[in-house]
Amino acid sequence: MSEIKLKSIIKNFGGNSIAVDNLSETFPAGEFVCLLGPSGCGKTTTLRMIAGLETPDSGEIFYGDKTFFSSKTGELIKTENRNLGLMFQSYALWPHMTVYKNIVFGLEMQKKSLEEKDKRYLELEKLFHLENFRDRYPSELSGGQQQRVALARMLAVKPSLLLLDEPLSNLDSNLRLEMRSELKRLHHSLGCTIIFVTHDQMEAMTLATSIAVMNEGKIEQIDKPMEIYNNPKSLFVAKFVGSPQMNIVNSKKDEKLATCLSKKINIEKEKVKNFGIRPETMKMVKQDDGDINGTIETIQPTGADWIVGVNVNGKSLFLISSDPPIGKENDTVGIFFKPEDCHSFDDNDLRILKN
Amino acid sequence: MFTSNSTSQNSFLVSLKIKLSKLLLQPTFLIGVVLVIILSYLVIAPIVSIFSNSVSLTMMDAMLSGGKDGEFTYKYVDRVFTSSISEKIFWIPLKNSITVSFFATLIALTLGLILASLVTSTNILGRKYLGFLLIIPYMLPSQAMATAWLTMFKNRKISGPQGMLESFGITPPDWLAYGPLPISICMALSYFPFAFLLFSSALSKIDIQLEEVASTFGAKTKAIWSKIILPLLIPTTMSVLLLTVARTLGTFATPYILGTPAKYTLLSTSLYSSVRSNDSGVVAVIAIVLSLIGLMLLLVDIWVVRKWQRFVTVGGKGIKRQPSKLGVFRMPTTIFAWIIFLIAALGPFIVLALSTLMREPGNFSFSNFGLAYWTGVNVPGMDQPGIFTSPEVITALKNSFLIAGSASIICGVLGLLIGYAVVRLPGTLISGFLRQISFLPYLMPGLAFAAAYLSLFAVARGPIPALYGSISLLILVMVVTYLPYASRSGISAMMQVGPEPEEAGMVLGAGFWRRITTILAPLQKSALIIAIILPFITGMKELSLVVMLVTPGTELLTTQSIRFLDFGYTQLANATILIIGVVVMISVFILNRVTKTNLASGLGG
Repeated sequence: MSEIKLKSIIKNFGGNSIAVDNLSETFPAGEFVCLLGPSGCGKTTTLRMIAGLETPDSGEIFYGDKTFFSSKTGELIKTENRNLGLMFQSYALWPHMTVYKNIVFGLEMQKKSLEEKDKRYLELEKLFHLENFRDRYPSELSGGQQQRVALARMLAVKPSLLLLDEPLSNLDSNLRLEMRSELKRLHHSLGCTIIFVTHDQMEAMTLATSIAVMNEGKIEQIDKPMEIYNNPKSLFVAKFVGSPQMNIVNSKKDEKLATCLSKKINIEKEKVKNFGIRPETMKMVKQDDGDINGTIETIQPTGADWIVGVNVNGKSLFLISSDPPIGKENDTVGIFFKPEDCHSFDDNDLRILKN
Repeated sequence: MFTSNSTSQNSFLVSLKIKLSKLLLQPTFLIGVVLVIILSYLVIAPIVSIFSNSVSLTMMDAMLSGGKDGEFTYKYVDRVFTSSISEKIFWIPLKNSITVSFFATLIALTLGLILASLVTSTNILGRKYLGFLLIIPYMLPSQAMATAWLTMFKNRKISGPQGMLESFGITPPDWLAYGPLPISICMALSYFPFAFLLFSSALSKIDIQLEEVASTFGAKTKAIWSKIILPLLIPTTMSVLLLTVARTLGTFATPYILGTPAKYTLLSTSLYSSVRSNDSGVVAVIAIVLSLIGLMLLLVDIWVVRKWQRFVTVGGKGIKRQPSKLGVFRMPTTIFAWIIFLIAALGPFIVLALSTLMREPGNFSFSNFGLAYWTGVNVPGMDQPGIFTSPEVITALKNSFLIAGSASIICGVLGLLIGYAVVRLPGTLISGFLRQISFLPYLMPGLAFAAAYLSLFAVARGPIPALYGSISLLILVMVVTYLPYASRSGISAMMQVGPEPEEAGMVLGAGFWRRITTILAPLQKSALIIAIILPFITGMKELSLVVMLVTPGTELLTTQSIRFLDFGYTQLANATILIIGVVVMISVFILNRVTKTNLASGLGG
């Protein structure tokens, strides 16, 4: 088990935008790292470069004391020899091979004996509840079963580094929850390093031990999940993580609200371009009891809680309340902000540290 | 100075090292380069050669006129366009070609549209079978229809056995037996299945919800067809129109069989007679004209497709249209559809088969029937052995299998290789070049391409020997001509599989060859079989491409049937065509078995 080190990785696919832009980062050994970002942010490209399926234009990739790639020395280890596990969004199970053949393929490449293959297969069969599937073909399995076969195939050769490319996005929501706990359990029991690519911030929050939020080929912030959530370093991270999205208040457009917020957290309004408040940190109170008044526009019950849209001087704020809202549509209510949960961002969309 | 120089040299070496190891990592690149070299020669060289032939003096003419062999000249361009014989070799054939193409296309288009509408969208009787049966004419070699027509309507103008009608005492007039009318009808009947296929698929792709919305506004079936379905078919109609015109222009068999007796010449037959009279300059000029017409039609087609892009309907839930009830029209339309099947598919088969079984045409007494033309050692009145004992037919059968077989195998493999290189090297020059060049032969009609090969391989050039008169020339020309279809299906097959199955193997430690053999090849097995059988079918019935390249000893079944006709051995020709038909049918059957779907999609040629 070793750490992964990326040094000034650049990858360009031709065209105007750069896929990965001078990326340097170290993913510590044993971590469950999520690369999180919108599509086209370079997260899958980064993963594929670690796997060796793409070659960086320049930069270096190290895995422990092994050099996977270096444009300085010209070293390049083929994917075949990197000895890692990779799982695709589509699973990429070979449709012409049975479950057994799929799973032992890697062992076959290592020229393992039949007994060894059978032994390992039986272990995996048990671990992933694949009994009775041995001679079936992938097309005869359900989505969840295919997923488990793909996991088993990846783990058969006991790789110390696992790369997962959106492996859960083809599953329905129930199965996804199940597989999330399965993956978490695996990470604990195997203790290997996992790099996981996703665009689903919920998945990243629940699974990862650290999240790297990517945007336009760069990592904007890498931190523990709660740190990312509570202290986003940039407006982009703040907006990308959390659902419903953080409310963004522009200090020019929504002047009254911005003035109220700047007073509340004791910061000069001129320094701040945008304020951010998470929906669940606001509290709805009686008219004139809060920091500012607003009119209820919409009420969306989700079952567990209520998402309430409140119009404050022309700006719609969404807040989540676990108690039934105190008013109905068109009622005027007060809103109370907690100063420690208000974020502020400067002209470069970077966080302004609270003083 | 010294240090900076050494670092730049060093960095050059490092980048070279990376490039090399990438190359070893991806032999795809090497495959691509090899393909580029091979295709450049096979595709571009003939085109260059035909252009140079059109403006350089042949040895024969050089001796006659005292010029130098290979000298630049406009002689052949003049001969084709302005000389006293230009009327005969170019202008009249051009006019005839246009006339025949116009009528043939018009009939084929109308038949295709009507039948496709009936079969896909109405409760016509036997629609399940008609969908398949109406495609049969497409599987027959184009001379089947023409010889069947001749067998039926022939009169005493040309030698050989009596026509069937004449043996009943009815003498068909010349205009019915030979010339533009029968040529147009026979071509239309051969090519309408193509229109039928395209219209059927377009009709089934139209989102049913578009019609359902209209019916919520109170539109009746008639209004839905005239206001929604037919306008949506405009782009398909344009494509069908242009492609059918292109096909009719390149057809050789029909005008040769039905036009020659009436001295009715089309561009294709005129080109052929120039080849026979060894006039290679004129051949080159006419071939270029044919190619330019083909190119023009293709460009118009591309333009039309782009212009009508907005008519492409996306999505739909794949719900099948409910067949609408025809009411009182059910019987008449049913009869109409089955009559077309009878005339275009079953009829020729019966006529051809009967003619080979009856000693004298038109005499239906039992004693007149026999297998003399098939199994006889010496067919009475012809001084020829029967089909099964004829050494010519046996040679031709062997050649047909050998040539179409090898060409289709090479083509199938090459197509997948091109697909692999194109898909795996995206955005590279090689990928773009391979894609373009493998499509290039599509622009040239078979006849023109054959003429180009004739001029290129008539003599030895560099390391490549003179191939004229050899089987390998026929295989080569077939491979290159079918390459556009093969490479397109290869590319789409590779696209469908995507890189992931291979990458999954890579991660688990499988090297390049291992991946090809254990992952890619099994995955592409059925694509490969289809990629081989389709060109085989086309190759078995190919005539226009090979007719000017064959020599005694390298005859194919198709060309042998033309030889028999030339000598007036109609029955033997018919029997030969029947053999082709049977082979093609069996291949189609195998193809259906392999693909487990309706054939149809993608029968090229």
